[in-house]
Amino acid sequence: MTPALDLVDIRKTFDSFVALDDARFSAYAGEVHALLGENGAGKSSLMNVACGLYTPDSGQMLLHGAEVSLSGPSEASARGIGMVHQHFKLVKPFTVAENILLANPRRSFGKGIREISDEIRKRSDALGFNIDPTRRVGELSVAEQQRTEILKVLVGGARILILDEPTAVLTDQEAETLLTTARGIAAQGAAIILVTHKLSDVKKFADRVTVMRGGKTVATIDPATRTTEELTELTVGANLPLPARSPGHFGRRRIEVINLRCARADGHIALEDASFHVRAGEIYGIAGVSGNGQSELAEALMGVRKPESGLIQIEDAGEAVAAASPARMRALGAAFIPADRYSYALAGSLSITDNFAVGGVGAGRYGSWARLRQGTMKKDAEAAIAAFDVQGVRTLSQKAALLSGGNAQKLVIAREFSRSPNVIVAHSPSRGLDARATAAVHSRLMSAREAGAAVILISEDLDEVLALSDRIGVMTHGRLVAEFDAPADRQQVGRAMVGHV
Amino acid sequence: MTASAVAKRRLRGVRLNLEVRRDISPWRQAAYLAGFIALGVCISGLILIWAGVPAGDLLDQFLVETISDGDNLRSVLFQGAPFILVGLSASVAFRARFWNLGLEGQMIWGGIGATFVSLHHIGPEALRLPLMIFAAAACAMLWVAIAGQLKLKLAVNEIISTLLMNYVALNFLYHLLYGPWRDASDGFPHSAKYADFERLPDIFGVSGALPLALVVTLLIWWLVGFTRFGFYMKFVQASDKVAGAVGIPVGRITLASVLLSGALAGIAGFIVASGQEGRLIQNFSDGYLFSGILIAFLSRNNPIVAAIVAMLVAMLFISGQSLQVFYQIPFAMVQLIQAIIVICVAASEFLIRHRIHIVR
Amino acid sequence: MYELFINWIANTPGYAAPYALAALGLILCERAGVLNLTAEGIMLVGALSGIGATLILGGYPPVAIVIAMIMAALVSMLFATMTVLLRVNQVIAGLAMVFFCQGLTALLGNLFEWKNQPITGIGRIDIWPLSEIPVIGHVLFSQDMIVFLLIPIFYLVNRMLTRSMVGLRLRAVGESPEASDAAGINVTAYRFLTVMAGSALVGLAGAYISVASTKIWVDNVTAGRGWIALALVIFARWRPWRALLGALLFGAIESAMPRIAAAGIKVPQYFMLMLPYVVTLCVMIWVAWSKRGGATDEPGALGQPHVREERR
Repeated sequence: MTPALDLVDIRKTFDSFVALDDARFSAYAGEVHALLGENGAGKSSLMNVACGLYTPDSGQMLLHGAEVSLSGPSEASARGIGMVHQHFKLVKPFTVAENILLANPRRSFGKGIREISDEIRKRSDALGFNIDPTRRVGELSVAEQQRTEILKVLVGGARILILDEPTAVLTDQEAETLLTTARGIAAQGAAIILVTHKLSDVKKFADRVTVMRGGKTVATIDPATRTTEELTELTVGANLPLPARSPGHFGRRRIEVINLRCARADGHIALEDASFHVRAGEIYGIAGVSGNGQSELAEALMGVRKPESGLIQIEDAGEAVAAASPARMRALGAAFIPADRYSYALAGSLSITDNFAVGGVGAGRYGSWARLRQGTMKKDAEAAIAAFDVQGVRTLSQKAALLSGGNAQKLVIAREFSRSPNVIVAHSPSRGLDARATAAVHSRLMSAREAGAAVILISEDLDEVLALSDRIGVMTHGRLVAEFDAPADRQQVGRAMVGHV
Repeated sequence: MTASAVAKRRLRGVRLNLEVRRDISPWRQAAYLAGFIALGVCISGLILIWAGVPAGDLLDQFLVETISDGDNLRSVLFQGAPFILVGLSASVAFRARFWNLGLEGQMIWGGIGATFVSLHHIGPEALRLPLMIFAAAACAMLWVAIAGQLKLKLAVNEIISTLLMNYVALNFLYHLLYGPWRDASDGFPHSAKYADFERLPDIFGVSGALPLALVVTLLIWWLVGFTRFGFYMKFVQASDKVAGAVGIPVGRITLASVLLSGALAGIAGFIVASGQEGRLIQNFSDGYLFSGILIAFLSRNNPIVAAIVAMLVAMLFISGQSLQVFYQIPFAMVQLIQAIIVICVAASEFLIRHRIHIVR
Repeated sequence: MYELFINWIANTPGYAAPYALAALGLILCERAGVLNLTAEGIMLVGALSGIGATLILGGYPPVAIVIAMIMAALVSMLFATMTVLLRVNQVIAGLAMVFFCQGLTALLGNLFEWKNQPITGIGRIDIWPLSEIPVIGHVLFSQDMIVFLLIPIFYLVNRMLTRSMVGLRLRAVGESPEASDAAGINVTAYRFLTVMAGSALVGLAGAYISVASTKIWVDNVTAGRGWIALALVIFARWRPWRALLGALLFGAIESAMPRIAAAGIKVPQYFMLMLPYVVTLCVMIWVAWSKRGGATDEPGALGQPHVREERR
């Protein structure tokens, strides 16, 4: 039997960065084939080659045994390859039907919308998706948007279905439903490629797994024949130790959030009545499925989003600050590690020195208004980079955007921790980082805890929250619905996340 | 592989892929830039030849005549001053991510402010000149503050608001010159002449405007490169969101830059009014908007480079004037040449920022 | 007084037409995600070409207008090359284009001696007997050709934009080039051609000014109308029919100006001439005020160049 999709020795570089290093991959019709690897291992790049978004520098691609060279995504979909991207490729202001029509054009618009809507209803019923074709995609939940994406490629007649990190944004239950559906689609003769870094998904739902590391394919095996530990080792390389946990020594309340309420730009209330406190020397984890108000909470804590009502009180601030500016929060000793580094922490086009020094300039560390001590700035930056092990720095005047995700995060931490903060707000601090960088970030947070800082850890990665937190608050639909003391039961926290307390 | 697949690949042939560069060496960058400026100059030359300038006279007109002739050189040196100021004005605003396209309106208000002081004999004679400069800066600042506040408070698009305000300012100037400020002595639509002590004095036979502009250049250079304000501006320019999140007062920095930009344009307005006719005339601000943008764009908002580019633009202006006299080439030619050079430089940025990948 | 009023209403569409057409062309470009600041320049190209073609042909203004549209589309290829192919900053490219066109038209108008040469241009068409109906007849059925065509043009463009596959793709390209790319749409081609088509409409607006209104070429004959059209697009929230409405408002103001003077009401002349710009500013402020914090309906990817393989 020939594979439905066969990728042979694919190589792809981006301006001297090697994303794919002679990677190989093949998938058969009727199987769920997982593609496993850490972030940055090249999974997405390889699949972007398969769906025609990237043109490989070298290598062959065979479909059902015949070599093809895709001119673009449209040719890929014409040849039956459908990709559901991790970041959905949907036009938000369009309806579901318009989005699907866009990818599967018909001659006439009016007739096309009618035909497509009928087909959506039919398939949606068959798969149990419950999607209304006339709704605007922007109003749908993340899981519904994902179903729209799947319907889109199925309507296009895809026989090879690539799901890129499909469970990353879903609750455990939603993920289970989705992957069961995926197995069903495979059983009808399609090849399902499941790109993921979650071992549990692989163990439970994949017939075969191909492991990638550093742009290379390491192995293709049957996941049932290996233990989780063996799979981990294949993915990560050597095993990394978990940060050591000492019992906490909690001091006074350092930060208290009282009845915080935030609205999004469109008026939707994203955060309602949030109240919690964090003590010195404590890590307070906030768990929840992405999009349940965590971003708004993080932004309000950083001072970049004005709350509708409620208070944020910092110890020694004298008074509660209802709508603190970032400058004021920082002056009170707060440090921030935002989820989106290049929106809230680093100016990618500016130098490493500038990005490091900006933390101290406002406090007057580098001279008065009229003079800037650039020599001191450089010296401090150099010392911090060494202390925090920021790699890939050729010169200090190099753009911050040239740092890899993990090193950019270390730069942020170096800056934020340089003034020994007493309150730390970290939002998804390990998102997009490899295992090694994640471990470094975690140990920094732990040592801040040891040093007596109050740490708020907002993360969609439940494992991260469970591993680090002393107490855990769970957010759903903009509310803190439950609170657990460590060690918390994973099942209980998970149930609270989907609203079944 | 089947034969048809091979044929198909051949037919498709070479594909070009585009990719964003992570980094580029300064030398390569300079080479691209120089190449494209040369291309722009060549295109401009061809248009001039087509418009009736003998090819042999081109170099003569643009370089030799403008520098060797005493009068021309003096004109260039004077003309450079307002160009430096509008160039700095544009670049200060651009550094704060504010598209100040109201340079001409602000120049007009600068002229009006200075002329008001002159017409009403405000202050003692010895202080008149600084007072006029101050009034010019203040009026222009107030004018640009409207657009600045509208952008900051209501997110009104400053590109359109500042441009529309140019037309408002121009019509107001006409109103003054055809109405209350019309020169009573000859009845022409211009203001009464400034007194001698109200004009910038010559220094070593050259208009004092240029030294003034150079001092301002150095001040701006210090401001953007060596002060906390300049450091903050860098962040605001790079990303206002990041700047806000790391604790920079983005609104205040932006407003201060916008006001400074307006003040510089206002002073430029006064210099043109005082240095050319010594009075407020119609259309004295024509052509400065685009020159300012061009200077800021070509100098990448660097004050020292802006001053150099401004002098080159001044040369272009003066030679444009002699082309008008000798070959009846309309002055619009100067604007056309400037636009062509901006287009070429903008095109060069494409190669600086992207890498083209050839895929077979 | 009554006469004056009817006269004002009857003249409004003629003043509104250039705003309406230019705004429509800009809406097309911006719905495809290209921030088009070139209107003032492209209108000049249309205006000069209209006059030039009329003078060369010795008449045939409708043909001249079509030629003007083609010329505008051709010149806009330079802008499209810069913004769509070369991914130049769209503000810089747009401004450079305006000044390029101002310089070019002034130069060519002079060199070809088209300046200050009056032409007959297009005139009013009376649709007899409807034009004889009192009041309404004069307002609705005695206009020039382009004004009569306004409604059909708007209907067709709006329908194309909202009820056709081409329109669906065009809007998708402006909202999310990444999603469009993944759906197999050639973003570059769509944007490039949309800029040309939109600019043809902007050129038509310019040609209308010179061939139907002024009937003569002078430098900068458009006098800032392109910028007003840009403001109109924001006011219209990128919707064609709202743009037509806004254009009529501006047409009414502009058409009122000479009539107020004729009626003997004393307003300083230059304050009168300021009015369109001041009103535009006020409209922009009002629009911004009324939707503070809310959605602006701006196309999602307006002003953003699209590069497929971008990596941070």
